[in-house]
Amino acid sequence: MSAATAVLRRFKLSREVVLLGVLIVLMVVMSLLSPLFLTVGNLLNTSRFFVEVGLMALGMTLIIITGGIDLSVGSNLALVSVAVGFSYAAGLPLPLAIVFGLVVGLAAGLFNGLFITLLDLHPLVVTLGTFALFQGLAYGLSEAEAVSDFPAWFAYFGQAYFLNVVPGQLFIFIVAVAVVWLILARTSFGRYVYAIGNNEEAARFSGVPVRKVKLVLYSGIGLLVGMAAVIYTSRVYTARGDSGLGLELDVISAVVLGGASIYGGSGTIGGTVLGVLIIATLRNGLTLAGVPSTWIVFVLGVLLLVAVFLNEFFRRREE
Amino acid sequence: MSKPAWEFKIVRVALLMALVLVAASCGVGQQPSQGGGGGGPKKICMMPKLVGIPYFNASEKGAEEAAKELGVELVYDGPTEAKAALQSQMIEQWIQQQCGAISVAANDPDALAPSMKKAEDAGIKTSAWDADVAKDAREVFVNQATFEAIGYELVDVMAEQTDGKGKFLVVTGSLTAPNQVAWLEAMRERMKEKYPEMSIASVEPGEEDLQLGIDVTKNYLRANPDTAGVFGITSVALPGAAEAVEQEGLEGEVAVTGLSTPNDMKPYLESGAVEKFVLWNPIDLGYLAVHAANAQLEGDLPKSGTFEAGRLGKVKMVAKDEVLLGPPLVFTQENIDQYNF
Repeated sequence: MSAATAVLRRFKLSREVVLLGVLIVLMVVMSLLSPLFLTVGNLLNTSRFFVEVGLMALGMTLIIITGGIDLSVGSNLALVSVAVGFSYAAGLPLPLAIVFGLVVGLAAGLFNGLFITLLDLHPLVVTLGTFALFQGLAYGLSEAEAVSDFPAWFAYFGQAYFLNVVPGQLFIFIVAVAVVWLILARTSFGRYVYAIGNNEEAARFSGVPVRKVKLVLYSGIGLLVGMAAVIYTSRVYTARGDSGLGLELDVISAVVLGGASIYGGSGTIGGTVLGVLIIATLRNGLTLAGVPSTWIVFVLGVLLLVAVFLNEFFRRREE
Repeated sequence: MSKPAWEFKIVRVALLMALVLVAASCGVGQQPSQGGGGGGPKKICMMPKLVGIPYFNASEKGAEEAAKELGVELVYDGPTEAKAALQSQMIEQWIQQQCGAISVAANDPDALAPSMKKAEDAGIKTSAWDADVAKDAREVFVNQATFEAIGYELVDVMAEQTDGKGKFLVVTGSLTAPNQVAWLEAMRERMKEKYPEMSIASVEPGEEDLQLGIDVTKNYLRANPDTAGVFGITSVALPGAAEAVEQEGLEGEVAVTGLSTPNDMKPYLESGAVEKFVLWNPIDLGYLAVHAANAQLEGDLPKSGTFEAGRLGKVKMVAKDEVLLGPPLVFTQENIDQYNF
């Protein structure tokens, strides 16, 4: 048993090393393509754009490890953005509006979790429903209007620079990565997550509180979406019903690229962070090199297919 | 295969890559200088609302033509979906990319403001075209057509076909869309001043739904057989109105005109349901936007009067921070084949 886990652990390590290698190769290629890529200013600036996807990808990693998925994160982001903007416009002080937004995000996640656990429905179906539900709510409540007369200090979350170069939201991301990594890799809760993904029935019979764990995970990603939404709204300084549209695919792409198995049971926070960084590097580098965005989308597709192929390769060798 | 050895190899390769990376970074460590100065050609970066649709491909054609004439480098790129957040991201990357001037067609006027202001702070000349950003977040707006000019032209085109009199139906997108409300206002004004025998009898929303536009027009024409003509003032409403008139067999009896794109309208011009319709020329718009950005870089864009924009000749500054493309373009059977958007 211990020998088996040792081998498993070794394989996870090697998968991350491969991703790290890919990231480094990409950075070399990008810096050859454009002399502007490998500058402190550019690299730090790029980090402003992956924090939102990165935060959601942390929660998504845990959910995918349990064999679940959450398609509603992009819509939930729009809902929180609208909740913050329009409660502020209606007269709520902005700090309270932000707290209200986080509560809305958490509640939306909890709603997903309750549906999935109480009715024993597949998360794909439930979150496909709430994907439309949250989106519709965001459009309906905002009546397709936008709020953008926020006070200047609101820019702190998404536009501020620490010491003139480091985007403020990078710190939030680093703290979130540390917390989620600790939970997944160093707590019994983290073990439960893997156990559910490997065999849900077996986990239940071994006394893992499967429902509670899932409820916490879906609520947790709701909270992370809430944080991402506040940063996003601050960055574009506008609350709109179409914020975050389609982001769920970016999030899931990063997690899958990071090596989490869509069948559940495997995945790491380190892998996901590398997945997020690889996608961000590719987008930024190719844009700087003057590649048209239509072709960047194509390259991202190729990269994902390669990642899926590699994952399958690793999975077979594990077995 | 022995796994540890294989793994070791990967680690070694990774380390080697890291070394290469460090070596590469030594060569490009210095921060590039900002702005369009220096030895190379000036660089103008221009962003449509989205890429890959005929309308903005037409603008690209005009922009390229102008860039070639002026000998400037043009980057024409935008998001693949019409989303403001993607645009602001691209603007921030362009700031890193030594663009001398940035011109955008905004998906949201306020959402692009922070990044456009940042570009201005970095010494980049900023402008908007096609759809404006917040006024304090750009130096110039290149406007394709004023609401007044569009509204007046629509009424003039219709008056030609109905001898300047009659009752009319207007099919819009939605009753609240600000641009459509402004066009309607201009249309009413023109009728009052120049064609007192013309009047708008009803305004019906088509909700940007082709089928709904057809139904609304058909029902109205059956209930009001004295209708002289129909205006369709969105790119969906006009083909809908034309289709309805065609299905009712009223070509030639009920005049149809409005705002739409040539590709959508070509069949109705050919069938005779529509004689003329109105829009601006997106090729010229792209052409003008590059000329305006170049004038900003040269520092010779005036605050009033006119400025010389290549083949377009003298172009008017309608405000100290607004360039106007000129009168709207009227499409007819004769000129429609020159346009593909």
